Amino acid sequence: MNSDVTPIDSASRCPLLLLIVSGVLWLLVSGVFSLIHFAQVLNPGIFADCPFLTFGHIATIAENTFIYGWLANAGLALALWILARLGGEPVRAQNWVLAGTAFWNFGVTLGVVGIAIGDGSGYPLLGFPGYVQPLLLASYCAIAVAGVVAWGGRVRPVTYASQWYAAAALFLFPWFFSIAQVMLFFAPVRGVLQAVVASWYGQALWSLWMAPLGLGVAYYVIPKITGRTLRSYEFAALGFWSLIFIGPWTGGRHLIAGPVPAWIPTIGIVCLALMLFHYAVIVLNLVDTSSTSGTAGKFIGFGLLAYVGGGLIDCITGFHGVAVVTEFTHVEEAIKQLAFYGAGSMLLLGGLYYAVPRIVGRPWAMGGLVGGHVGCAVAGTVVLVLSLGVAGLVQGGGLLSAQMPFEQISILTDPWLFAAAVGECILLLGNGFLAANLVATLACTPGAETAPVHAAASLEASAP
Amino acid sequence: MRNGLIFILGLIAAVGLSWAGIVLGSNGQLGGLAPFYDEAEGSSVPAWFPGVAAQGQLVYRGLGCAECHTQQVRRPDFGSDQARGWGDRQSVARDYIYQPFPQLGSSRVGPDLANLGGRKPNPPDEEDLMQLLYKGKGSMPAYRFLFTVREIVGQPSDRAVRITGEGAPPAGSEIVPSADAIALVGYLTNLNTNADYPESRPAPPAAGEEAPKTAPAKAGVANEQAAAKGQPTAQGHPAPTGPADSQPGAEGAKPQVGPSTAVSPDAQPMTSPAQKEPGK
Repeated sequence: MNSDVTPIDSASRCPLLLLIVSGVLWLLVSGVFSLIHFAQVLNPGIFADCPFLTFGHIATIAENTFIYGWLANAGLALALWILARLGGEPVRAQNWVLAGTAFWNFGVTLGVVGIAIGDGSGYPLLGFPGYVQPLLLASYCAIAVAGVVAWGGRVRPVTYASQWYAAAALFLFPWFFSIAQVMLFFAPVRGVLQAVVASWYGQALWSLWMAPLGLGVAYYVIPKITGRTLRSYEFAALGFWSLIFIGPWTGGRHLIAGPVPAWIPTIGIVCLALMLFHYAVIVLNLVDTSSTSGTAGKFIGFGLLAYVGGGLIDCITGFHGVAVVTEFTHVEEAIKQLAFYGAGSMLLLGGLYYAVPRIVGRPWAMGGLVGGHVGCAVAGTVVLVLSLGVAGLVQGGGLLSAQMPFEQISILTDPWLFAAAVGECILLLGNGFLAANLVATLACTPGAETAPVHAAASLEASAP
Repeated sequence: MRNGLIFILGLIAAVGLSWAGIVLGSNGQLGGLAPFYDEAEGSSVPAWFPGVAAQGQLVYRGLGCAECHTQQVRRPDFGSDQARGWGDRQSVARDYIYQPFPQLGSSRVGPDLANLGGRKPNPPDEEDLMQLLYKGKGSMPAYRFLFTVREIVGQPSDRAVRITGEGAPPAGSEIVPSADAIALVGYLTNLNTNADYPESRPAPPAAGEEAPKTAPAKAGVANEQAAAKGQPTAQGHPAPTGPADSQPGAEGAKPQVGPSTAVSPDAQPMTSPAQKEPGK
């Protein structure tokens, strides 16, 4: 294993670091809003006099900054980095990436302000107001140009699974994003069709963008840190295409028993079962992660566990007898957090812990914080998801009984939501460690560019 | 994978197929859904919102109320929606055709509001909702910023909200709702989906081929619940999801469930359980 700092990394440093730093900042912002959200859940009257901090605003801001702030910035950075490395050339069109990143983050900021002043769209996972959407689309395309160029201009004609996932994520987002914008904001479809479009968009966002970004990282990093080729690699293409072709059809499950044609949730549930094939391929290819010990390996291992586990749980909630309890409860939020935080975010964090030392050209400045972050991220996610899940089951049981008033349900769920808030605190603490470490790593020893090439093990900060 | 062109075409096909299937498919089925002309009533339903309610939907959306409230009543074998008195029937796509931004919602920290203005026997009136918004209740936050507490100068406002006890305004002051609060309450009191459509009636339970279908459709929890309610559990697969919906014209949909006069009496006893508690 000789994956040391390459000229490709140092030549691509500037745009990638801008994306990464922006992503980590949004991760902190999202964490703070999540905490405010839980404060409000436990004490509903706390911001009764503030029009900007209504319950709906805070929850939407926390979610959208997480997706469009953190996952997008970090995911794009890692996707570009993988495509550049495997393409054999430094990131090209860097000015496009820089400008795109600046405008993207400006757009996200504007979107947050828009939600706070009551202009939010109300669509799940697409909460920013209509007026920032075109800006986000244009700036995304500016960033993704570099990925398309790296894909098209690659030195080797043969491509790898990580490249497919990264290229697919970069390339597909503008398509479904623009379709959703037109059909929801600029020429809105009628009535419940808006909910259908929104559910399709939400699923495409996961299956065609977040999941591929995370899986691209996993496919790239795991063979590097294990030093072995992937098992049963010949199945990787099947796993890829099954996600890309079947995944977007599964969104309808959220509309079960709703005022939409029954075939939409039915197809969704059938496709959820078909997706088991995709998860089987992921396990088959990436099972070696379980034997790694480095920081990146731990994050990615946990991320893959959450990814596959979340997929199985999704399948189970498609059953009528389960959905009747879990629909409209905190269980759905728990599953979402398991996917977004447990899978998407963890895979990207693993990628960052592997990539940043190589991009910067020196190891993480504070090894202790790295270990702290691993512990906090794992513990926080587990506590958050489990407590939300239990709260949701309690809530679902209460909702089923027509005699149970809502005040009673909220008394029963409050202790569990408090536990979820603790999980959120732990996560924020861990992410604070990452931010501090990143600042320290970027700030220290400015002359390190010319430092000798580091051994892979120290770059990965796997020691603490 | 060596062929980049096939790769890119495959990606586009994946997005295109799912979009065509789910979005265009449902659009083809529901996009032309027309209002239903009720011959007995001599009017067509649903109606457009009055201006204040349409304005109020934007306030509802902007405040993020859908974060805790759904607006979709599910069928009787799916949860306790109807037993809680949220509506006499399940919501169907036609209920929403004139809503600019349907707020179906996905979370029930609070009750469903699809039929708030049509709750039986007594829907909440404007005053109730104003007081609820000002004071909050249980896990429902207060929205005091939607109101102004001001000194009474001359004639008191006829819109002033009467609050007594905790949160009452000081003597000589009154609590006046803002334009947003008035619009929001106007919207909430206009939420009414009690109109009767062919597809909103449960399929006739007596139909021979429907009977075997209904039994496996109910899972354990729903069955228990129906048993607890002491009423027949037979509810066919919901009509709105069947081919009836694909007919844009209301008249075309009618034959699907037979003559309306014959179906309604069957449907009524099932959708009005005795222990409904609208106060929830």
